[in-house]
Formats: sequence, structure tokens, C-alpha cells
Amino acid sequence: MAPSAIDRKRKSVPAEHNEASESDVESEAEFGDGLLEGILSQSESEDSDEESDAEEDSDEEELDLDALEALDSDEIPSEDGGSEAEEPIGSLVKSNGTKNAVVALREKPLPDEDEDKPNYTITTDANGGERYVYEEIDPVYDSDDSDAPITTNTIGDIPLSFYDSYPHIGYDINGKKIMRPAKGEALDALLDSIDIPKGWTGLTDPATGKPLNLSQDELEILRRIQTNEMPEDGYDPYPATVEYFTGIEEIMPLSAAPEPKRRFLPSKHEAKRVMKIVRAIRQGRIMPYRPPEERQEEEEETHYDIWQDEVPRPDHIMNIPAPKIAPPGYDLSYNPPPEYLPTKAEKQAWETADPEDREKEYLPTSYGSLRKVPGYEKFINERFERSLDLYLAPRVRKNRLNIDPASLLPKLPRPEELKPFPTVCSTLFRGHEGRVRSLAIDPSGIWLASGGDDGTVRVWELLTGRQIWSAKIGDDEGVNVVRWRPGRDAVILSAAAGEDVYLLVPPIVDPEMDAASRELLDKGFGHATNATQALTANGARKEPVAKWTRPGSRLEDEGVLIKITLRTTVKVISWHRRGDFFSTVSPTAQKSAVAIHTLSKHLTQIPFRRLPGIAQTVQFHPSRPLFFVATQRTIRSYDLQKQELVKIIQPGARWISSFDIHPGGDNLIVGSYDRRLLWHDLDLSTRPYKTMRFHQKAIRAVKYHKGGFPLFADASDDGSLQIFHGKVVSDMMENAQIVPVKVLKGHKVKSNLGVLDIDWHPREPWCVSAGADGTCRLWC
Amino acid sequence: MGRIKKKGTAGQAKNFITRTQAVRKLQISLPDFRKLCIWKGIYPREPRSKKKASKSSSASTTFYYTKDIQYLLHEPLLQKFREQKALEKKISKALGRGDAHDASRLERNASRPEKTGRTKYTLDHVIRERYPTFIDALRDLDDCLSMLFLFANLPSTDTVPAKMIARCERLCLEFEHYLIMSNSLRKSFLSIKGIYYQATIQGQDILWLVPYRFNQRVTGDVDFRIMGTFVEFYQTLLGFVNFRLYTSVGLVYPPKFDKNRDDQGAELGAFSLEGNGVGAIEQPKPITNGENSKPDPKLQAEIDKLMAQLNQPEKEAEQELPTSQTLVDGDEEQPTDTIDKFEPAAPGGDILLQPSYSATDPSTLFSNFTFFLSRETPRQPLEFILKAFGCKRIGWDAVLGDGAYTHNELDPSITHQVVDRPPIQIDPEAVEQVEDNQTAQKLSPGSRVPGRIYIQPQWIWDSVNDEELKRPDLYGPGAQLPPHLSPFVKKVRGQYDPSAPLNEQEREDEELEADSDMEEDISGEDDMAVQEPKFLTAMEVDATAEGMDIAGSEDDESEDADVVDNEDDDFGGFSDVEDEDEDEAADSALQRQRELEAELTGVALEEKVANPKADAKKKAAKRAKEEDEELERAKMMMSRKKRKILEKMVYSNKKKDGEAEALRAKRRKIEKSGKGAPRA
Repeated sequence: MAPSAIDRKRKSVPAEHNEASESDVESEAEFGDGLLEGILSQSESEDSDEESDAEEDSDEEELDLDALEALDSDEIPSEDGGSEAEEPIGSLVKSNGTKNAVVALREKPLPDEDEDKPNYTITTDANGGERYVYEEIDPVYDSDDSDAPITTNTIGDIPLSFYDSYPHIGYDINGKKIMRPAKGEALDALLDSIDIPKGWTGLTDPATGKPLNLSQDELEILRRIQTNEMPEDGYDPYPATVEYFTGIEEIMPLSAAPEPKRRFLPSKHEAKRVMKIVRAIRQGRIMPYRPPEERQEEEEETHYDIWQDEVPRPDHIMNIPAPKIAPPGYDLSYNPPPEYLPTKAEKQAWETADPEDREKEYLPTSYGSLRKVPGYEKFINERFERSLDLYLAPRVRKNRLNIDPASLLPKLPRPEELKPFPTVCSTLFRGHEGRVRSLAIDPSGIWLASGGDDGTVRVWELLTGRQIWSAKIGDDEGVNVVRWRPGRDAVILSAAAGEDVYLLVPPIVDPEMDAASRELLDKGFGHATNATQALTANGARKEPVAKWTRPGSRLEDEGVLIKITLRTTVKVISWHRRGDFFSTVSPTAQKSAVAIHTLSKHLTQIPFRRLPGIAQTVQFHPSRPLFFVATQRTIRSYDLQKQELVKIIQPGARWISSFDIHPGGDNLIVGSYDRRLLWHDLDLSTRPYKTMRFHQKAIRAVKYHKGGFPLFADASDDGSLQIFHGKVVSDMMENAQIVPVKVLKGHKVKSNLGVLDIDWHPREPWCVSAGADGTCRLWC
Repeated sequence: MGRIKKKGTAGQAKNFITRTQAVRKLQISLPDFRKLCIWKGIYPREPRSKKKASKSSSASTTFYYTKDIQYLLHEPLLQKFREQKALEKKISKALGRGDAHDASRLERNASRPEKTGRTKYTLDHVIRERYPTFIDALRDLDDCLSMLFLFANLPSTDTVPAKMIARCERLCLEFEHYLIMSNSLRKSFLSIKGIYYQATIQGQDILWLVPYRFNQRVTGDVDFRIMGTFVEFYQTLLGFVNFRLYTSVGLVYPPKFDKNRDDQGAELGAFSLEGNGVGAIEQPKPITNGENSKPDPKLQAEIDKLMAQLNQPEKEAEQELPTSQTLVDGDEEQPTDTIDKFEPAAPGGDILLQPSYSATDPSTLFSNFTFFLSRETPRQPLEFILKAFGCKRIGWDAVLGDGAYTHNELDPSITHQVVDRPPIQIDPEAVEQVEDNQTAQKLSPGSRVPGRIYIQPQWIWDSVNDEELKRPDLYGPGAQLPPHLSPFVKKVRGQYDPSAPLNEQEREDEELEADSDMEEDISGEDDMAVQEPKFLTAMEVDATAEGMDIAGSEDDESEDADVVDNEDDDFGGFSDVEDEDEDEAADSALQRQRELEAELTGVALEEKVANPKADAKKKAAKRAKEEDEELERAKMMMSRKKRKILEKMVYSNKKKDGEAEALRAKRRKIEKSGKGAPRA
């Protein structure tokens, strides 16, 4: 269908069907898609069913369509644009129905099979009615028919099927009928009888309806097109340009004017300019060649005395002049003395060392003769480094201590002046199997008691080293500590093995003393029986902290008189100076770590319900009613009378092993497992006054000399004892003077344990030490 | 209450500025900043606390004083740098436009010091600022001279323009001329790095190093732009210094420079000095004429024969030389008014400063001699040093360049010839041939001209450093030279001095120790091998094996005692006299025990030989031990800080002593083997 025709119709419609449009306004809703579809389906079905024979039907249809078109546009009469917007739908509708046929006719000679298939499916719509769903239209290029081919048939772009019922197929330009060419079986028969003409293709020219024949030239054109050549024969796509003005000299010049004279004369203007340059050159204003150096040459440097009126100016105080390069030494000589030459080993060491690690950047070499001296290859590098140092290196003044190092040493009194102190091992006490855990010299200074891992307590004669007496008190446990009771009125030895503390009277003294000692020990039994037992809240007898009992007849015969059984292993025994009280420490116990025992009453008390940390050791103050308890980190001093905490001493050690109080009572030494020996002045501070770290291993024991010598000693796991001279001055203003005087080595280190305990002689400057190697030694 | 101080407004935070901050403050590029710092002598500082000085969290490495940078802000050079930068921009813009003419015009204005060796700016004011007095400048001349002498010997490259090298060379030669004129060169030293010179100008000692004349090896890690910046400054400085020096001795500066002679390699000779208003100073003219430039042929023949004789059996050329020396000695004037040298007779005394012992004035050391330099000797340093010490007439082989007093080796006025080649064996036939070619100017190799002293170059240096003429026989051709010692080393007591005899500087018992050490080295293995029932003293037990059981037939008791004794020594604590007494007591007890045993067994006891050496050793060890203990005891009582200081000092002292001792040991070995060269 030609669009122009539709347009025309559309324009005419408003005028013609004005009334109709008005009447149809109500049934606007009924019009539309349903009707349209119906129409479309009708036309479609008819199209598909009977294309060729129903000519009139299709004609009517065409009319219907036209009317419909008009009605369609009437629906929105005021809007011209609206109708135009709907046009595509209309045209699509048309193409569905009719144009397919045209296309089929034009392009396919036998479109029947294609046409047989309906291009829609029938489904039920929402109302239950039939609904035709059409296939998607493929908008191929051919669907657009804007460029119609120029044909001799003038019927326009209408399907030829319209003329199916007529003998002609259209009209030529002159209005004459173009008659339908013969076809059909008759024709076939005819053709069969006729030879195939030249150029026969079997195609029908749709424009003419005649069979399409191809001439030789046309075939050639087709071939060219197929091979992508220009279809026209002899066409040159790149012709040589034909110049508009050619170089070909015309035979007849266009101008007949004669050559001007100036073409034969030298230019005056040029001559002028040349003369100008010539003149400039002559006058020297222009140099024909000026070397660039000449310009610099003229700038002669000026010399003058820059220091003509020099005024000395002191250097800025912060200015540090660059240090001068050190003058060369003997080893830098080209022919140095032979002792400066490196040996083979030194040379190799120098060569293999990294250049940065070398002490000198050169290797002294002897060349023997000046002519053999080569160039120094690092010369430029060294100078460069020097320049870098000059401007990049931060300069710092460093004060070099140019003094004798000996002057830094403190002036210590000579050891000879500090005599006496123990220097050599004079007696060796052998007999213990396994380690000697503890030892003590009795208050009279004659005997030495020791206890070891073999569970025995032994008493030796101090000077000779002879064992006088021994008793096995620990059956399977070693003796952890032995201590003599202070005081000369009795000879009582206390020892701890496991949970038991034993009080012994070794049979080494004269009978009176022996009897006195035994009496002293036995006196308490009466008290113990008389004492009312503490009762708990529910009336049951409270479990006593310690049981004071007889150890049994075997031990009693040996001199072991009393056995005090505590709850856990006792590690430390410490006696009060009067000999009536002693305190024990069992570090593993929770509450009853520290116990104070009264010998005369056979009574055991637990002064502390709770301690901050594990109790290590305890000490009674030598003169005042103070009680010192060392936990791992701190030492606390308690007033026993007032029952209050007096002071917390903080040595700063990680783990205190032992401590001792100076007989004067104002100073304290602390030994720690972290190898420190600390001197505390209790009047000064709670912090140590001096810290000494001279041992390689942990310090086990420290002890002051209690008999008037200003000495103290410590024993360490490295197998050595260190003796110090520590003089406490009575003057408050002066601090104690501490001088190390002697290291005593002799004990062997066994399984990382060296010297375990130490004690001083009560009067002489002698000390005894207990070693892990099973010996005790007397040093004097 | 005062106002709360704001952080970063005072103290270190304000006094120091990092390099980046400085560059930003000055608004110049880093290379320009570097230049400014080099010229103005501004160097980084080390703040006492880097953390306080830096404001940023990252650790800055370089700090400058803020005041220094502020002082740079007013620098006129800064403006010059900016102008140069603007010009460069203009040129690049013109080139970008393709305007070559404009670019070249601008280029002409730009200074290209790397090409021309010349700059648009001068550094005069900088020099005046940095060195307010001439003495200040002299004090800082060491690096300047070393650098310029190095650049004078460099090949020209694109980073080191030929102009710069030429200027350096000129300045250096001018300076050398001044030293020659004023005789202010004092010492010189031939080292493996180059030749060190020391001059004293107006009381300032200036030490510089000149490389040997070889092609310098340039590695990639050397930035010649930095060196060039230094050289630029040093050139200006030395120019002014030279001017001042020349005018101070009444000379015109700059001296006249003869380019032609310089091209012929005259070097020092290319300059002609002029006095102020006096005119050119005369150079010595050859005394002799051409005709008597040859020695007496007869004498020559005799000498040649002698030489052939001497050279053939053994190289004892030195034998011949003393005779010729006597010739020279005759016309050498004997110094009479010399100051006596105070030599320490025994060690231990303090060293007093002596007035400089100048038997010969440096200006007259070589003034009477005529030197001839053989072609294998380094001409430039020899010429300079000889001239600086008064020599007026120096001839050399024509190969060595122009400017010589004579090129004729046979000139009879020559008194000394500097040679540096090994003596060549001459067979008599060759000598005959030489005689035939007597007319030739060149002498045959190995032959000698009569009446002159042949010496190696080191003779000159050693004579100069000791300010007296050395014995030439030690320095004859081919002779093994005595060691060349640095004249710059100050003798410190306790340090090794190679010129002094060994026994003077040894510790008391050093040799003893060394001897025993050596003996031990030798006999140590034997002792191990032979299981002699040797009686070991307690000390020896200590020395050899600690806690070792003594194998022997002694009974238990003595062994026990021994063990105790042994342990006694093991204490290692503070031993004292008593301890020692005990040792000795134990010793004597042991001795008696042995005697008793011997009596019992009936074997004659071999007498214990008193070994003085062993005794001495024992005593020394004992003393050392005692001292050690004492030191240890004292150290225990020091504070940690002081102890560290002490340990450092002891360490460094020990190191020094160890070095000296090692040197002494080496020398002892060498002397014992008798291989050492003679010492001057």
C-alpha cells in the first residue's frame, strides 16, 4: 500500500465522515483492538487460505481497511499528531496482512509453502474468548519500501496479485495494458518444445513479467561485482591527475609582452644590502667568524688583595672547624720499615675482609724503588669522600678523655689494711654423702654442725675437721637446716628434716652442760600438758599447728630429744637471741608458713594468717623486738610487741634467697637468686644503698660476722664465696664503706649447685661453707 | 604562675632545621643548596636529641642550625642562582617554540661553567666572609691544595672541563713558585698514595698530598659535580692566597706565563716571576759552554773500566762512591753554629721540646749542587723539591720536557745524578763499544760519569726531612734503600719508633718473655711427648694444667697436699704476700718430702737447678696476677658508667700497646734473622 494514498485518504476523511465520527464516539470503547484483531485475523486467514483466487474479497478488504483507517483517525479527531503516532501500528498491520504477499511475489517465485503456515496462534484471553497472538515481525530491510524500483509497469507499489483476475498485469507509461505473459502447463509444454534461449536464467523479471535473460556483458558485470571490482568495464579508480596548468609549453604564448629589462639587470636593492654588510665588515661591525672562546678571553680575572683591611674576627662559638686529615704514618711509606709490612696471614685477612670492616683502607707495601710505585687507585675516591665529609658530615665536638685510666679507679684501701679476713681453706670436712645443705658453728666456736641430703646431722670439731657425732634424723628426707641455740647456758642444736624439727643435745659436752640442756628442753612438757587446748566453735578440739613429741627411743639415745611436727617441709630455722624462741619457715605452707615456737612452753604460734607472697626466710632483730620476714620480693619488719608492720624493705631483687641483719641492727644484706647482693641501710631508705653483682650464678646465703669484725660474705652457686669488708660507721652522716676483699674458690659445682650455706665463727675472722660437693670447708 | 610554654617554640626544636625544611625555606633546588653549603662552609649538626629537634615522626637524618640557614637567606649568590634558573627557563621555552635564534642569543648570556670553566658570579665575598684574616685562609689550605693538585693531574672530561684543569695547574704551579721563592717547604714524604708536602707559611703548617703522575682511576661512584663545586671555591681561594703571598715577597701576581714553553712541558719553567718594579728575576744560566760539556775522555775510560770490574763479581757500587763523596765533601761548608741535639740517653725521662735543629738552612741545603735527573725519575716532584731547597741548577733528560738547566747528561758541572734504575751488568766488549762511541752525547746504560754522585730519589727526600745530607752510599743505584720514614709522625712515649733501637723502647722483660715464648713454641711439643718424672712446681702446675692429677709415685698424702695446693691456686682470688709465703712454704715442704723419699729409695736426688729465667717469669706472673686482682677489686666498686669508660680506655690503650708490641716483635724477628735493611 502506498503511503501517499493513505495520507491522501486521511486528509479527506475528517471532511467526509464528520457525522459518522460524532455518532461513533459512544462506541469508542468497543472499537479498537478486538475489532481490529478480528479484522486482521480475518484478512490474514483469507490471505493465507486463498490468496490467488479470492480477488474480490481482498479488494473489499482493502476498502474495509481504508474505512477502518479513517475511523481510527477519527477516534482522536483533535489530535493530528496522535493519528500520526498510530500510523506505524497501522502500517504494521498492513504489512502483516498484505505486504508479505508482495514481498513473496517479488522475491520468491514459489512462496506457497511459506504462506500456508499461519503466523499466529490462538489462545484464550482473560474473558475466555479467542485471542490471536501473532509472531514477532522481523523488521528486515525489505520491509521498508521507500525506494521502489523504476519499472515500466506503472501500477505502483501494489501486489501483482491484485491483477490476478485480469489478463493484464498493469499499465505502461503510455497507459497501455501490459498483458500477462503466458504461463502454466501449456507454456511449459511449449517451452519444452522450444530450445533454451541464450542467456536463459529461469527467472522472471518481476518488472516486466518476462523471463529474465542475461547477456554476456551482464554476466561480466556480475562477475566483477562478485570479485569486488568496479562493475564498469575499463573504469580506472585512480586516474593520473590532469594538471590544470600543464608544463607543456604552448606554441603560441598567451602574452606577447617583451621580457622586462630588470630581468637582465643586477638588483640595486640587493646590491645595497650587500654593500651594507660589506661596509659593516670593513668597519669591523660584523665579524665574519667570531670564535666563542674569544668572548670569555676578554673577561680577565681580576686579582686584588682581599685581605687588605683584614680584621680578626673570633670564630663563632658554635663553629667547629673541619678536622684536618691525619698525617701519614710510617706504614704509608712506599718503602716502610719491614716490620710494618703485613704477614701473609694479615694480608689475606685484609683482602678477604669487607672494605668497610678493614681497619686501614690500604695495605702497607714495600716497593723498594720509587720507579716501581704505581698510582694509588683510590685517590679520587678518597678525595671525594673527604669532600663529602666536609659538607655532609655532622660535626660534633667530642671530648677525648686523655687521662690515665688508673685515675678513674676508686682509691680502695689495700686488702692488707683490711685484714684479717679469711683467705685460705684450712680444714676440709668430709663425710656427708650428697650435698651439705646447712651448717652452723656453735656459740662457743668449737664445733661445727652440718646437715645434708643423706639425712644426717653431724657435729665436727672445727679446727681439726674430725667428726665427733652424727645422728640420722631424716629417714628419706635430707636435713634442710641446722642451727645452734644461741647462749652459752646450754648446747642445743635444732635441725629440720622434712616436716619435722628436731631439738638435739649432742653428747659432746661435759655432763653438767648436757644435763642443763636436757632439762631446758624437757621443761616445756609440763607447760604443754597444762595448757588448755584451743577449741573450735563446735567444741571439737582444734588440730594443733605443731606437735611437740618425743622422737622415739632410738633417737633419744642418740641425743635427739624433741620432735616438732609441722604441716609442711621446714626450710629455715631462726633463733631469737635469748634462745627461748625460734621461728621456722615452711615456704610451701599457705597460712602457717611462718611459725614461732616457744621452747620453754613447747608452744607453737602462727603469727601471720596471710602473707603477700611466699615466705622465704625470717630473722629476729639482734637487739630490738622486731621480726623480719622475707617474701620473694620484699622484706617486712614487724614489731612483735605492738604487733604491727614497721617497714617494708624493697631490695628490687626478683627472688630473695636469704638476708642477714647487721649486729648493729641498722643494716641489712640481701642475697637473691638473680645474682645480686644488696646492702640496705635501714635508716636511709627502703631501697638498697649498694648493689653488687659479682657472681655468675645465684646467691644462696649471706651472712654478717657477728663477732666484731666488719666482714660479711655471700655464697653462690658458682662455687665461690665472696668476702667483703663492710664497715658500718657509728656516725650517722657517713655511709657504710664496702670493700670487696676476697673471692674464695674451692667448692666444686655439682648439678648447678655450688655453695649452699655459710656461717661465720663467733669470734674469729673465719667462715665455714657447705658445698653441694658433700664437703664443708673452714676458711681462715 | 607563668604562662604555659608551647611545645616546639624554644630550644632544640627551634635551633635545628632539617635539610628538606632548609631547602624549602630557601626556595632553591637541592643541588643549588649543596653548592651554597659547600661555598659558605655550612655543615650539618648533630642535635643532642634528634627526637626533640625533628618535628616529623619519621627520623630525619640531616639537621642544620636554623641560624645558619637564615644567614643563607641573605646570600647574593641566591639571587644569582635564581637568575640563572630563570634564564634556563627562557632558553628551554625558546627551544620549545623552535626559536633557535632566540635560544642561541639567550644561551650566550648563560654561563656554562662546565664548558667554559667560568661563571657569572664570583665567590670573592664568600672568601672574605669565611676567612676574615689571611691566616684563617692559610689554616684551611690543606684540602684546597690537595684538591687542586688532584684536578691539575686529571684528564679533561665533559664533567671536568679542560679550562678548569688548566687553571688548577696554573694555580698550583704558581703556589709552588712561591714556595720555591720563599723556601717555605719543610717536609715531604713519598707514600703509597702520593707525595705529601708540608710547608710552613706564616707559622701555619700546611700539609697536602699530590698524586703520582698516573692516569687516575675514576669510578662511577664519584660525583664530579660536587668535586667541581669545591674546586670552584678553592680556585678562587688559592688565587687570592697566591696574590697575597706573591705581593708579600715583592713579586708581581700573576707571573708571566709562557704558553709555548708550557706546551713543551716546561711546567714550573713556563712561569717567569717579576719583582715589583725590578723586572724579571734571573734564572741561572748554564755556566759551562758547549765545548767543555764532555768530561775528560781518559778519566771517563778509567771510570768505565772500574764500573765494569765492580759490577761483574758483586754489585758493590757503593764501594766506589765514598771516594766521589769526599770530592764533594771538600767544597761543602761545615756548619759551625749548630744547636746541639739532646738525645735521651736512657728511657724514662720527659721529652723536652727542642729548638728546631737546622744545621742547614732549607734554602741552602742543595744550593751548591747541580742535579741531573735521569729519564726514569719523576721530574716534577724532584724539580719542585730540589728548587724549594735551594738548588738552582737542575738538568734532566730531554724526554722529561723543557725548562731544564741542561739536557746534556755529560755536563761536567753536574754534581749529583738522580737515577732510579737497577745497575746493569756490562760486559767488557760493550764497554769497548761505548768507548768507540765516545762522541755520542748519550751515555751507555750502566756507565758513569766521573766526579758526580749517583743517588736514588729517596736520598733527596730523606735529606730534606732530616735537614742534613744523607750518606749517599746507602742510596746508590740498585742499593737496598733504608726505610723511608714519615717525618710527620710525632714521637709518643710508649709507641713504637722504627728509627730508635729496639732495646730502648722495649718493656723491661719483653724480650725475656718473647724468648721464652719462642722457646716454649719450640720445646712445648717435646715436653708433651717425653714423660719425664719432672718435678713440677706449684706455679707450673697452675700454668700447664689446672686440677690435673700429677702422675708419679708419690703416696696419697703428698698427692692430697698437692691437690690442696693446686686448689689453693685455683682460687684466683686476691692473693697477697702471705699467700705467696704459703706457696713457698709448700714448695720447700715438697722439696723436703722429696729428699726424704729419695733417701728412702736410695736414689740421688737431682739438684733442682735454679733457673733465673723461670724465676723471673714466675715473679712477673705473680705481679701481674696481683695487679689484676687489685684492678678487679677496684672495678667492682665503680659505678657502671665509670666502669664502662675505664674499660673503653683500657681497651684502646691495650690495642695501641698491642700494636706497638707486635711491631717490636716483628722487628726482633727480622733483626735476629739479619735480613733487615740498614737503618739510616
